[in-house]
Amino acid sequence: MPKIRSIAGYMWAGAAIIIVLATFFGSGFFSRTLVAASGVKISPLYSGGEVMRSVDHGSYKALIHRPVFDALIGESKEGFVQVNWEPLAGLPPVIEEPVDYNGDGKEDFSIRIDTKTGKATLTRINPLVLSVINTVKLDNGWVVRVQLKKD
Amino acid sequence: MKTDTPQVPRGEGLGRTIILTAITAVITAVMFSQGKIPQDPKGAIALILTFLFANTLFFLIIYTGKTDRYRAVYFSTFAVMLIVSFISHMLEARGSMSLSEAKVFQCEVPFCHLVIPMTLVPIALTKTIIFPGSLIGGYASIASMFVLWIGATLALGRGFCSWSCFYGGLDDGFSRVLKRPVIKKINPKWIYLPFAVLLFVALTAAAYLSPTYCIWFCPFKAVTEFNAVTSTEILIQTIIFVSLFIGLVIVLPVLTKRRTQCAFLCPFGAMQSLTNKINVFDVRIDKEKCVKCKRCIQVCPTLSMSEESLEQGRTRITCMKCGKCIDSCPKGAISYHIKGTDIPGKRNTYRLLFLFAAFLFLAIFSSHIIQDGIVRILKLVTTGSMIS
Amino acid sequence: MKGFFLGLSNGVTCVAYCTPVLIPYMLGEGKGVAQNFVTLMQFLLGRLAGYLCFAFITWLIGLSIFGGLGSKGLIIGILYIIFSCLMMVYAFFRIDVPCAARSIGYVARKIRVPLLIPVAAGLLSGIALCPPFLLAMTDAAGKGSLSYSLFFFFMFFIGTSVFFIPIPFVGALRRLQALQIVGKMAAGIVGLYYLYTGIMAVIAGAEGI
Repeated sequence: MPKIRSIAGYMWAGAAIIIVLATFFGSGFFSRTLVAASGVKISPLYSGGEVMRSVDHGSYKALIHRPVFDALIGESKEGFVQVNWEPLAGLPPVIEEPVDYNGDGKEDFSIRIDTKTGKATLTRINPLVLSVINTVKLDNGWVVRVQLKKD
Repeated sequence: MKTDTPQVPRGEGLGRTIILTAITAVITAVMFSQGKIPQDPKGAIALILTFLFANTLFFLIIYTGKTDRYRAVYFSTFAVMLIVSFISHMLEARGSMSLSEAKVFQCEVPFCHLVIPMTLVPIALTKTIIFPGSLIGGYASIASMFVLWIGATLALGRGFCSWSCFYGGLDDGFSRVLKRPVIKKINPKWIYLPFAVLLFVALTAAAYLSPTYCIWFCPFKAVTEFNAVTSTEILIQTIIFVSLFIGLVIVLPVLTKRRTQCAFLCPFGAMQSLTNKINVFDVRIDKEKCVKCKRCIQVCPTLSMSEESLEQGRTRITCMKCGKCIDSCPKGAISYHIKGTDIPGKRNTYRLLFLFAAFLFLAIFSSHIIQDGIVRILKLVTTGSMIS
Repeated sequence: MKGFFLGLSNGVTCVAYCTPVLIPYMLGEGKGVAQNFVTLMQFLLGRLAGYLCFAFITWLIGLSIFGGLGSKGLIIGILYIIFSCLMMVYAFFRIDVPCAARSIGYVARKIRVPLLIPVAAGLLSGIALCPPFLLAMTDAAGKGSLSYSLFFFFMFFIGTSVFFIPIPFVGALRRLQALQIVGKMAAGIVGLYYLYTGIMAVIAGAEGI
């Protein structure tokens, strides 16, 4: 038994060197495999969630993401909806967007952004819409997050 | 009559050292250059310097038998070069070290291994990563850091903290500034603090789905990136991380000659102490040779040696395998060891197998950062600016 | 989740007080792991009952004291600051805390009905005036809602119970002392969180006056 343990120890120690080389040689492959096999994604709290619909305005488009109420278990009482406008070059000086975030065919809020100053004005229609959390200029457009209350 | 042969193990002979160094030289040449010599003269100089630096240190580690002395040089150089390279990179990409909201929204924040303990529970329960970084591709992607972490855990265990962590080299370096410690007595109970921090940050990160350690505590934001102070909350966060950096990474390591950030705060290190169970290398004490002079207890940078360790012949679970106790033992009673084998057994073989894994990890992991750091310094010397 | 963290941070200390009674009791009974689990469940039910009683009392305190106050935020903030400082002292320095669980041994000797021993021990361990418990009471009382209070203490119970799970595997407790230090230090860090919350509440409360 001690001999077997000793051999196993040496084999594992030798494998450690191979693991080091494989880690760096195969970093790209292992990274892709890890992501594909695990199916992990960036939390919607950071990515803004999947784009639910796109509204074409000619020179630019609005991307309305799904409302995010994600919590560790179940859903939280408050969340947000993210709207992106892109490309930056095609944006007018003032963006005005009516948003139906829950897809019921009724407008829930309207947002107005001055793309020069970043000032955002929210007009709430649905009482579950609370306030503007962030308005940020991105490399390729503008993004806004509006705080929501759960039904 | 049995004569007293030298008990302190020496390094390998010159011939054997040259052969062993030749092996690492071939591997590092391939890995550092990735098969091509840079056209840019600064890049070529950086490649050659990095190659020579790495292999000279490896030669010295093998030839002199001293591990920690030369490891520390490499390890601290890596940490300093990371700061040079990272800050230059950030200044080029963003124009400042502060993290912009745009980068957060675009999920382009570089990911580091310290975030990993906070991501595990959310990954298990929601299959999402609670960090605004890039999954694949881009600078310091999440998947590549996970692959590195898995590789390092399998190959080195907690040895990652002394052989690969690009932050650890800072407090390791500062812990060597003075010849003797000013503060000598430290209550060993503080070695449990990283486990408490780990418990706290793992749970709060899961509850709030937010990397709480990065936001509130990480001292290394001081030398990488941080949020611009735009609110009282961010001001408090800034005071906390700057204080932790000055206190635990600079002042206390200088005064105590211990790696205080790694030993008393780092939650990643605590996690590595636990995952180290699956690693094959450890540091063991030959109880028959040990004369209990307690030199190892005095020098251990993480308080991983205690009188109990000497009794049991093994270190505490917080041991980072830096080799300082091995270098300092006057009787050669402490050595690297492969689990399942005899003690003392073939200690030179154990050491060489560990060194190949650990050194190659350090050399390959650090190579591009050190090369980039050298290029930036050359740029600074020749053009007056480190950024393009 | 705050209730869970407070419970979690205090759980090891609870274990430290309760195991000296529970383990000899389990070993004395000489039954297997399954029976030990039954005993543990009885004990935990007792604890839960104790905590839920406290949740109710806390709600009443919240209603009677904080209910009519205009500067509720300020007072809760001050309480947070006091209790969080106490918790940090408790975490990082060696002090004894008033916990009824310490008298479990005495009570267990007095109770003759074996079934009731773990239940009574659990109930007693649910009555404590240690800093995490005081913080939990302040948090729950501040909300003024019975359902919140019950849920908060339920989560506190879950948090403290995590550390009781290994007890049936009696031999697995070699590292209890290390765990106890880690738990107390985690309590200290939670104390930092409450200190911050308290300072912010005091600033907001002071601005509101």
